[in-house]
Amino acid sequence: MIIDLSLSDDQRMIEDGARDFLQDRLPALRLRLPQNHGGAAERAMWPELSGLGLFGLACAEQDGGMGMGLAEQALVARAFGLVLASPAVLAQLAAPHFTAESTLRAALIAGNTRAAFANCLSDGTAHLIDGDGAERVLLLSPEGAILVPRSHLGEAQVAAGMDETVALARLSVPSELPARSAAADRTSLLISAYLTGIAQAATSMAVAYAKTREQFGQPIGGFQAIKHQCANMASREAAAEAQCFYTAVAFGNGHDDASEIAAARMLAARAAIDNAKANIQIHGGMGFTAECDAHLFLKRAHLMALLGSSRAAERHRVLGPAG
Amino acid sequence: MHLISSPELDLFRAACRDWLADNVPQGQRPLEGAALRDYDLAWQRRQYEAGWAGISWPKEYGGRGASVLEQLIWHEEYARAGAPPSASMFVALSHAGPTLIVSGSEAQKQRHLPTILRGEENWCQGFSEPGAGSDLASLKCRATIDGDHLVVNGTKIWTTYAEHAVWQELLVRTDPDLPRHKGISWVICDMRSPGIEVRPIKAMSGLTHFAQVFYDDVRIPLSNVVGEINGGWKVAMTTLGFERGTGTIAHQIELAKVVESLIAMARAMPGGADEAVMADLAVLKSEVMALRSLTVSSVSRGMREVVPGPEGNVVALYFSELARRVNGFAFDLLGPSALERDGAHDWSLHYFESFKWGIGGGTNEVRRNAIAERMLGMPKGPSARDAAR
Repeated sequence: MIIDLSLSDDQRMIEDGARDFLQDRLPALRLRLPQNHGGAAERAMWPELSGLGLFGLACAEQDGGMGMGLAEQALVARAFGLVLASPAVLAQLAAPHFTAESTLRAALIAGNTRAAFANCLSDGTAHLIDGDGAERVLLLSPEGAILVPRSHLGEAQVAAGMDETVALARLSVPSELPARSAAADRTSLLISAYLTGIAQAATSMAVAYAKTREQFGQPIGGFQAIKHQCANMASREAAAEAQCFYTAVAFGNGHDDASEIAAARMLAARAAIDNAKANIQIHGGMGFTAECDAHLFLKRAHLMALLGSSRAAERHRVLGPAG
Repeated sequence: MHLISSPELDLFRAACRDWLADNVPQGQRPLEGAALRDYDLAWQRRQYEAGWAGISWPKEYGGRGASVLEQLIWHEEYARAGAPPSASMFVALSHAGPTLIVSGSEAQKQRHLPTILRGEENWCQGFSEPGAGSDLASLKCRATIDGDHLVVNGTKIWTTYAEHAVWQELLVRTDPDLPRHKGISWVICDMRSPGIEVRPIKAMSGLTHFAQVFYDDVRIPLSNVVGEINGGWKVAMTTLGFERGTGTIAHQIELAKVVESLIAMARAMPGGADEAVMADLAVLKSEVMALRSLTVSSVSRGMREVVPGPEGNVVALYFSELARRVNGFAFDLLGPSALERDGAHDWSLHYFESFKWGIGGGTNEVRRNAIAERMLGMPKGPSARDAAR
């Protein structure tokens, strides 16, 4: 199998379009205002967001989709990560692929029925994430994913989240349990692409700061101690991104999807978390404050890394069955 | 981003695979010395006779003139077939030859390109000096003009296969009064010339692949200058990164094989696989997959760009660090038995040798500078400031 990883004109248009729109209308700095937390900013502009047609990007045209592939979807997921879009928006991107029911699929694509992630815990409960107004829940565990009606899960108890910019609520899980499927694999890859967006945003933020912040009479970005950290950030991000998009293009074409997707997930999570940490360090004292956005990327990176994933599960998939 | 499926490429792959299956040399390859050179030259001749030599070289110079994708396929199949690394032919095929193709005179091309492809003469490189490593432009090896000859005095170091090469691509300072990048010339040096002394240097692995070379009034015809006198820096820089990274896929496949054998060994350990060891192996395996993806990404750019961009540094940096960790992992896995060098597979040899990838051809520090300055647009350090002058 030979893969060309350069973007086509159409793919470039999708990426630029999504990125420009999100950076203009949903910039990460919106999260400085608590009223935008919990996916509120996204809900406030829902008609516009669903009007972009992104949620049906990889669905068949007869279902109201655009008939593209996982690679195009991953470009959008990465753009979501760049601006720390609500995880519920990413759930909406994945959800149509979980149902064979055409009415429901069309409603999810159009954004008329809203979805949100819920992440299984080990005690029989799950965390619903930015679930306000969601009628379908994309339930995730390291075993896989499943789409269920919100009504199948119990009453939500508001919980204090590690990432204060998302709304976390505990609820009991339904009798249906997440399992591996093509749609679950797709979801994992979209989460990885979102994570590479975080890794990229953290790199850009660190580089921009290092170019302007002066100490010892020069921008700190002129010191190799800083430059080399930024080069490491760019390399980690490039490797995770290449693995994500290679896997997205190869998806369903006879590669070992399970191990490729798990590798993408491990590397994307690490790139997002490590780059977010390095960004805080490069920002120095400011990076440690709540006023600087750097901490938001670290918190979201940890949250996304733990969505339907565990080190043990990814490891087993990467290594494959003992033979 | 898309899958490329083409019957022509499938046929090309099948042809590569069939020929390699029948022709890859069997048996132990000598580790060093003249025996290694002769082995590599014989293998080169075999490829030439079957029309596979100079896969990336233009057809007009006797190469295969393969497209970037065909090169990728060739290197993939080459590594899968367990064919020998280009080793002592590397400078000739991947650096000196391409440089002559771009910058050499017609006479220089006629004289040297066929003997490289036919596996008759191999080359070494004389760029670095004891005082000029990462700061290559500070090189001092001096050449003065005497009639129709250059007379060279000085020394070069890290010259791989110096003892066993017939020709050398040599950078010398022909005008010490010009700005440092402007007084350098690129010359073809006959390693059999009087006044050349080669002192082999043993590497940490125990292998003796490289040497320091001393020049004492070595006379080189002016007709051996490639490009213009004092124009050597430009000649050297033009072909830097000529290979576009398609060759990296062979390294990646090698590393993937090593990781798979480590995984099999870990699973076969008495008492079963150790969880922590398996966790580390999963990370290594993921990174080897990512190295393949990075290479594919770099090759994809190569199909469109005329001049390779700075992104190749990311692939080189990633590969060199991964190669050390993969080859060093045997110590974590095997415990004290890894301390013995005998056995079916000499892990320490590969581990110690893997250090060269982060040092030779530009250290990882220089690569990080290039990534930061040229990809991320960060303030330029001394090397880039100086080169811009």
